[in-house]
Amino acid sequence: MTKSNTDMLDPDDGASHELRNYAIGFGVSLLLTVGAFAALLSHLPTVWKVSAICIAALLQVMTHARNFLHLSLSGRQSREDLLLVMFSTILLAIMAGGTYFIMADLDGRMHDMRDTQDMEGMPAGG
Amino acid sequence: MTRTTSPIFGRLDWSVTPYTDLLRKVDSNSLVGAGAATVLVLGAIVTIALITWKKWWGPLFKDWLTSPDAKKIGIMYIVLGLVMMARGIAEGFVMRTHQTTALGTLAEPEKGLVAPEHFSQLFSTHGTIMIFFVAMPLLIGLINFVLPQQLGARDMAFPVLNQVSLGLTAAGAGLVMISLLIGKFGTGGWTMYPPYTGITYSPGEGVDYWVWAILISGLGSTLTGMNFAVTIFKNRAPGMEFMRMPLFCWTSLCVAIMLIYAMPALTVSSAMLALDRYAGFRFFANDGGGNMMNYANIFWMFGHPEVYILILPAFGVFSEISSTFSGKKLYGYTSLVIASMSIAVISFTVWLHHFFTMGQSAGVNIAFGIATMIIAIPTGVKIYDWMATMWRGRVRLTTPIVYLTGFFLLFVIGGLSGIILANPSIDYQVHNTTFLVAHFHNVIIPGTLFGMLAGIHYWYPKAFGYRLDETWGRRTALLFVAGFMLTFLPLYVLGLMGLPRRSPTFQNPAFMPWMIVAEVGACLMLAALASLFWTFRTSFKNRTKLAVPGGDPWNGATLEWSTPAPVPEWTFPCIPEVTARDDWGETKRAGDPWRAPDTYSDIEMPANTLHGLLIAAASFGLGFAMVWHIWWLAIVSFLAIPGIMAVRGMREIEPKIIPASQVREEDRKFRERVASLTPVTRADEASERNQGVPDLSEFAG
Repeated sequence: MTKSNTDMLDPDDGASHELRNYAIGFGVSLLLTVGAFAALLSHLPTVWKVSAICIAALLQVMTHARNFLHLSLSGRQSREDLLLVMFSTILLAIMAGGTYFIMADLDGRMHDMRDTQDMEGMPAGG
Repeated sequence: MTRTTSPIFGRLDWSVTPYTDLLRKVDSNSLVGAGAATVLVLGAIVTIALITWKKWWGPLFKDWLTSPDAKKIGIMYIVLGLVMMARGIAEGFVMRTHQTTALGTLAEPEKGLVAPEHFSQLFSTHGTIMIFFVAMPLLIGLINFVLPQQLGARDMAFPVLNQVSLGLTAAGAGLVMISLLIGKFGTGGWTMYPPYTGITYSPGEGVDYWVWAILISGLGSTLTGMNFAVTIFKNRAPGMEFMRMPLFCWTSLCVAIMLIYAMPALTVSSAMLALDRYAGFRFFANDGGGNMMNYANIFWMFGHPEVYILILPAFGVFSEISSTFSGKKLYGYTSLVIASMSIAVISFTVWLHHFFTMGQSAGVNIAFGIATMIIAIPTGVKIYDWMATMWRGRVRLTTPIVYLTGFFLLFVIGGLSGIILANPSIDYQVHNTTFLVAHFHNVIIPGTLFGMLAGIHYWYPKAFGYRLDETWGRRTALLFVAGFMLTFLPLYVLGLMGLPRRSPTFQNPAFMPWMIVAEVGACLMLAALASLFWTFRTSFKNRTKLAVPGGDPWNGATLEWSTPAPVPEWTFPCIPEVTARDDWGETKRAGDPWRAPDTYSDIEMPANTLHGLLIAAASFGLGFAMVWHIWWLAIVSFLAIPGIMAVRGMREIEPKIIPASQVREEDRKFRERVASLTPVTRADEASERNQGVPDLSEFAG
């Protein structure tokens, strides 16, 4: 009961390493967040903006998982961690892919908003 | 509803209570509204007076509200769930009574007990309460109580986080409760679809009550899920391998996974709705670049796993009781484990079946329709496994078995009507009718409710040291079964006849006979609720006769039955070494299961703390302030939450140490007590002779 339940913190020799780990994670996350905003405010084409923000988001997820959640692919817990990462990826892929599948289909079946609004006497919205 | 916002009171003023409506106009509608508010106020006053009169404040505060003990937190969750269930069933009764009196005529198209707007509030609160504040607290409470004991752990992995989760759930429930007295609840149903719930069409406080209740309690549920998962992964007793865990632990693991991955979707959809309403975002406004259909998409991404979150703990309970009460090993353990995990994963792939009619093409619909039908396969496997467990066993018709039988008969009907609805072309015909209402009540009541009540009955002796009265328990179970059948089976017929759900009125006299049958059923449901509370009361009065100090009243096979009843705070005098599946059963078969451990050591338990209460108070303040636009209170409460956490983080917190001598003393007393009690055979299980020490020679399972 007295031992730490993270299997990571050892107050004698791990503290400074641990602190540095968090500091790096924080710095990288900050950079990626600022980068995403910079991409949004820049004059790049929209496709580039969206891809830059998506990539920054993915990298940030990885930073959080590695530096804050202590997931690693080597060491005592690697097997459990790998399972966890894979399971999460599958579920997120189902959710994101399913949303794209559904919303893109719905979008394709909607009236084009610009056409509808141009027509007089027609309510906006489809 | 006033439009001005005062800097101190926000939009609150004296016109927001239902009594204002009553003063304005006395009719059945305002009477029902004011009556409900009065019940709330009187209930609160009576409770406070009773606690003061009995001098229970001290023990309530010291032993319960500040306790981080998972068993007590579980019991508090269940009490919260039962209190909210009383309101939910009462609302259901009012709705049925309204519809029975709602046959409109040409001269007077709208009739009935309550006004249409009030009826909309009723079905919205009924749904919200029953899902989020009855079913969820009941199952989370039961898991909290049972899971650590079955795993051979002393407590959850994060006891204080557990307390915070309970606090957040209670704060959400408090917001829904207070909407009875102050202001109105939303009218958009429990799903609160925009654009109707956007600020344009629902300008008042109603939807905000829902949004904040859901955001706050949803966060609590997410944290609970993490707590369960970490407990199962990290806190199992030595030797408790995954494939040795009792099935209830397996279904708890599935619930934990689903809570972790599904609840955030709900938080996201409600937060987006809140941003639309408060900050003028256009997430769900079609003319502003948003898309209202995305709300349904995100909401049901949570909503479908949610229904399996509700049902899986019940499946766990039924696995335990079908084995225990037929004196046999659980049939098909591995297949049950695989089926549970399959359900957990497949439940994330079917969410579109909640909005087949939203306008997507047939190809999309059929993909999700097929996934929906596939999920019935693992569920079917489970039903067969339980029936095979009971096959040729010596089944004792105890209360949990009555619930299980009701579940077998009714849940299969509900599941089959679900398969019917999984076909998009049939769904187009019956969607938005009471056929659907009948379907989901038909899975949730015989599934979740019966499962939870069976579980409460089964583990009650472990919590309080005495059994629940069998006669009243069986009466309650039969009343719930009969009440359910009479209330909801007619709704299938009405739905096929064309009665839309949530309809405050109808003009077809042919509906009336079925309406009256359903009304009779609603009366039986009320009677069942009363009978449930009477079971608790009468059992408490007879607690000396029903006492089971031996701790194993049902001749069980899992670890939790090896401890005294009521179970001590530290659960196990020393953490058991597990050598087999159903370890306690194996020990019994080997003879002399109550052998004392060789050594005792000091036990560290988490110390009592105010943390959960403070966080609950702050989040309730935040929710209430945001609903009424009391900005100063919102800011204060919002800052208070990280403040409270920081204060706790900076303090050195000493655990509570229970000395080895005390543990040894209590354990010795328990073992002497067991040796002095007469073992009871299974035939005598329901009689006073059952003192919690079973006849070991009968243990075959």
